[in-house]
Amino acid sequence: MPRGELLAALLLSCLLITGCQDQERETIRMGLANAPLNLDPRFATDATSERVNRLLYQRLVEFDPDSRPRPGIASWRAITPTHYRFSLNEHAGNFSHDRELTSRDVVATYRQVLDPALASPKQASLELIASMEEVDTRHLDFHLKRADPLFPAYLTLDILPAELIEQDHDFARKPVGSGGFDLLDWPQAGELHLRRRSDGQRFQLLTVNNPTVRVLKLLRSEIDLLQNDISPELIGYLRRQPTVSVDQHPGSNYTYIGFNLQDPLTGKLQIRQAIAHAIDRQAIIHWVMQGAARQAGSLFPPEHWASDQLAPYEYNPDKARELLAELGYSDRNPLRLTYKTSSDPFRIRLATVIQSQLKAVGIDIDLRSYDWGTFFGDIKQGNFQLYSLSWVGIRTPDIYRDIFASDSLPPSGANRGRYASKTVDQLLNRAEQTSNLTAQAELYHQVAAELHRDLPYIPLWYEDQLSVQGSRIKGYKLMSDGNYDGLAQVKLKSVPDGKHVQSTTAN
Amino acid sequence: MIRFWFPLGILGLWAVAAISGGWIVESANQIDLQRILQSPGEQGLMGYDDLGRPILQRIWVGAQVSLLVSVGVVTLSLLIGTAVGLFAGYQGGWLDLILVRIMDVFLAFPGILLAIALAGVMGPGVDNLIIALSAVGWVGFARLTRGQVLSLKQRDHVTAAIALGTPRHLILLRHLLPLLSAPLIVEATFGMAGMVIAEAGLSFLGLGIQPPDASWGSLIRDGASYMLMAPHMVLAPGVAIMLVVLSLNILGDRLRDRLDHRSNG
Repeated sequence: MPRGELLAALLLSCLLITGCQDQERETIRMGLANAPLNLDPRFATDATSERVNRLLYQRLVEFDPDSRPRPGIASWRAITPTHYRFSLNEHAGNFSHDRELTSRDVVATYRQVLDPALASPKQASLELIASMEEVDTRHLDFHLKRADPLFPAYLTLDILPAELIEQDHDFARKPVGSGGFDLLDWPQAGELHLRRRSDGQRFQLLTVNNPTVRVLKLLRSEIDLLQNDISPELIGYLRRQPTVSVDQHPGSNYTYIGFNLQDPLTGKLQIRQAIAHAIDRQAIIHWVMQGAARQAGSLFPPEHWASDQLAPYEYNPDKARELLAELGYSDRNPLRLTYKTSSDPFRIRLATVIQSQLKAVGIDIDLRSYDWGTFFGDIKQGNFQLYSLSWVGIRTPDIYRDIFASDSLPPSGANRGRYASKTVDQLLNRAEQTSNLTAQAELYHQVAAELHRDLPYIPLWYEDQLSVQGSRIKGYKLMSDGNYDGLAQVKLKSVPDGKHVQSTTAN
Repeated sequence: MIRFWFPLGILGLWAVAAISGGWIVESANQIDLQRILQSPGEQGLMGYDDLGRPILQRIWVGAQVSLLVSVGVVTLSLLIGTAVGLFAGYQGGWLDLILVRIMDVFLAFPGILLAIALAGVMGPGVDNLIIALSAVGWVGFARLTRGQVLSLKQRDHVTAAIALGTPRHLILLRHLLPLLSAPLIVEATFGMAGMVIAEAGLSFLGLGIQPPDASWGSLIRDGASYMLMAPHMVLAPGVAIMLVVLSLNILGDRLRDRLDHRSNG
């Protein structure tokens, strides 16, 4: 090759490499603990996919900080208690293939999810809908099987374009939504490339399973942002690093201990009360979780409109011993129970602490940790005495029916502990027939009080949301349910000459 | 003589820790939330773990699992391997051919991978761990024994025993096995070092002893998540494994030097 051509080729290569590096530098990278599995909102059930889908698609309804439904891309009015009219507003955007979102798309999306042939896991929450129709391009009507003042809060489905639904488009791999972000590329399972529509800012969502590696990548500026799934000690370590900033926000994810009410041992109220008095939740929150949680009094956090925070069972080992002694248990004749948990190291750690606290009052716990599939299978089948789990992203108090109604046994419901109370059933029925939200909230308070007395669950805590931002970015806002909506505001820090700040720790 | 004292001292301490470990299990599992991840110091010689448990006591208790598994596996492997090797080497013919091929298959397959698969199928626990590791550990002994027997059976005293009509089992036990003991002891010493590492590896993967009981591998696994904040959680059991393995290897070397007549001569 002549020398001139060689020089030109070299120059071109340098320019291309420099161009790529510039693009890399201007990309904001977020580290995820788990890869999103399915970007089709009709089927996505894992938390990461749902959070990414919130960025790609839009919904009719969103939620206030107190979890009341508020207009998303549509406002609504109840024409009758069983007839709602939704009007698309100015927030309804264009799909990524450049077509305006209309009421036809909304109707098509909801119709398809309600079609039993699709077998969507989202269908159950929408069974209240009797029919729906498109009034015009901006308005649509929903007709309900029965009145429910909470109905708008159920309309959180991500809207898909009608013509692509008809064409059986592969939304799982090629999402087409009207949200604030477009999917640019999905080169491998744990790597998503997105572009923010408002300003063209590029993002990469990178999966790094190991929390220590995720933190090291953040410190080396290989990623700019982390959210949750990091041990409290690592958060404490990051707080001491000058190049990153840690943000903490009260969360709404509810962690509890569940009992099998049909078990001869955990079916006894005194045993459940003894366990509730034997667990020092404040000590666990303070020492193990480093304060990154709030003690829970009921299913919903204090800021929720239907919440009624009841005084938690006080930590009183003597009282626990007394209750056990009434049933004939003592140090020489200890109560033996099996406690199941997932194989997540942090969950095992928490369970081990609880095991030691229960041992101190004379309860011998056989701690068993299983992979998620086995563990959750056992819980759904009622194959347990006690277990710990979390409810994530619950918004509406109709969840009480799903968890505690006597006719909500798995697989049709989530009453995994086989709890049965006529009083609670009656209160739930009355709440659902009440058209006034305030009156409904009062009835749910009574449900919470009944549950507090019967103890099918011991409320433990609401875990805080935590995010860590690297030195290159600013403006990320944490959400109480852990979604990634804050990516809509986050920006790269700029220096006066207009160039982006370089990493302070990267080599 | 000093060349023997260092490994023997470490291994003696290991054995004492293993024997006495049973008495301190309770204090090794004692959770103290206020001491979570406390560094080594006056309060605790090796610091505390992620549940405020003393690491020194947990290493002490972990020595028991380590010794039990390594001795158990080497004993079982030695018995099986020696029996197979003796039989194959002395018998010869098609039986030897088949046994050698089986050994080749075991040797060709990554041993630790097979042990992981077996331990995974059988479930966690010390007994299953010993079986899984023995399933791959016997091959080394069998190969060594067979090789030695092929050479030893040509010796005059064996030929004389055959000529005198000595039963085969007596030839194997009285005339061959005593001559095999020296290389087998050396091999067993190195085998124990390998098994200490293998046990730690499988426990690191969660296939060994189950929480809250401690083993050196599970201590390293627990500590790996806290390497940035509490490196002592990984360093302390890591150093314990290193010292024991180093001692076993040095001891093996010294024994080989002492028992090998050619090098002595």
